[in-house]
Amino acid sequence: MDTIENFNHILLFKTNICCDNDKQLLHNLLDNHPHIQCWNIDMEDSDCVLRIISYTLPREQIIEMINHHGYQCCELT
Amino acid sequence: MRLRDQDKVQLVKQKAIELIVNDGLEGFSMNKLARVCKISVATLYIYYKDRDDLIIKITAEELKLMGDAIVKDFDPGMSFEQGLRKQWQNRYRYIVENPQMNIFFEQLRSSSYQEEYLSGYMADFKAIMGKFMHNVIERGEIDAMPFEVYWSIAFAPLYNLVRFHNEGKSLDGRPFKMTDEVLWKTFDLVVKALKK
Repeated sequence: MDTIENFNHILLFKTNICCDNDKQLLHNLLDNHPHIQCWNIDMEDSDCVLRIISYTLPREQIIEMINHHGYQCCELT
Repeated sequence: MRLRDQDKVQLVKQKAIELIVNDGLEGFSMNKLARVCKISVATLYIYYKDRDDLIIKITAEELKLMGDAIVKDFDPGMSFEQGLRKQWQNRYRYIVENPQMNIFFEQLRSSSYQEEYLSGYMADFKAIMGKFMHNVIERGEIDAMPFEVYWSIAFAPLYNLVRFHNEGKSLDGRPFKMTDEVLWKTFDLVVKALKK
């Protein structure tokens, strides 16, 4: 059986953030962000997938924010 | 909007179990799983937060299914022999119908997931098992003994026979195949060992 659900609030990115030191940047940027419900990064995966739950933030804004700090970040497709 | 396809969710679960059983936890990754399922990595991350989340959720679901299968038509008020017989039937049926799951749970038991794996899940199942043991001791059908001793006599022989069967041979290398006769003969010996 199929059900249609809205997953637009789950934002997924491929990054090169793969160690705890790099992850600290994400804590600084995302922990207290008013438009982010929660986030996590899977550093065990080769795509270092960053997963953000936000109902309002556009993907581009997150990509820009992370690129600006010298890390790769693009939409995971 | 995306379509949550229940068949796809089921496929992800089944393939994840297969990969972990065949390649171990070390070699298991979300990328590999997505490839095997022929879906995008992003789809996997919609369903699951990360690799740990996927492993823990699948394990929890499977433990629940196993617990339900084991307590099916079982009543903790049953007499010792009747209750244990039902347990053996259910446990054996579950193993035969889900041959991979034993290896899957073993992989997790010997990993860092052990704590997650053991904590909290199957609480209902454990309560029913504990109640049965308590009842049969209270009625004086078996002696009081630590749970580990009880379990080792009551169920370990069944699981060991299954191990011989899965390996296809006995300790000395002779071929071994489980039969109903072997199963229920062993059961009778277990009852004899425990019943007062």
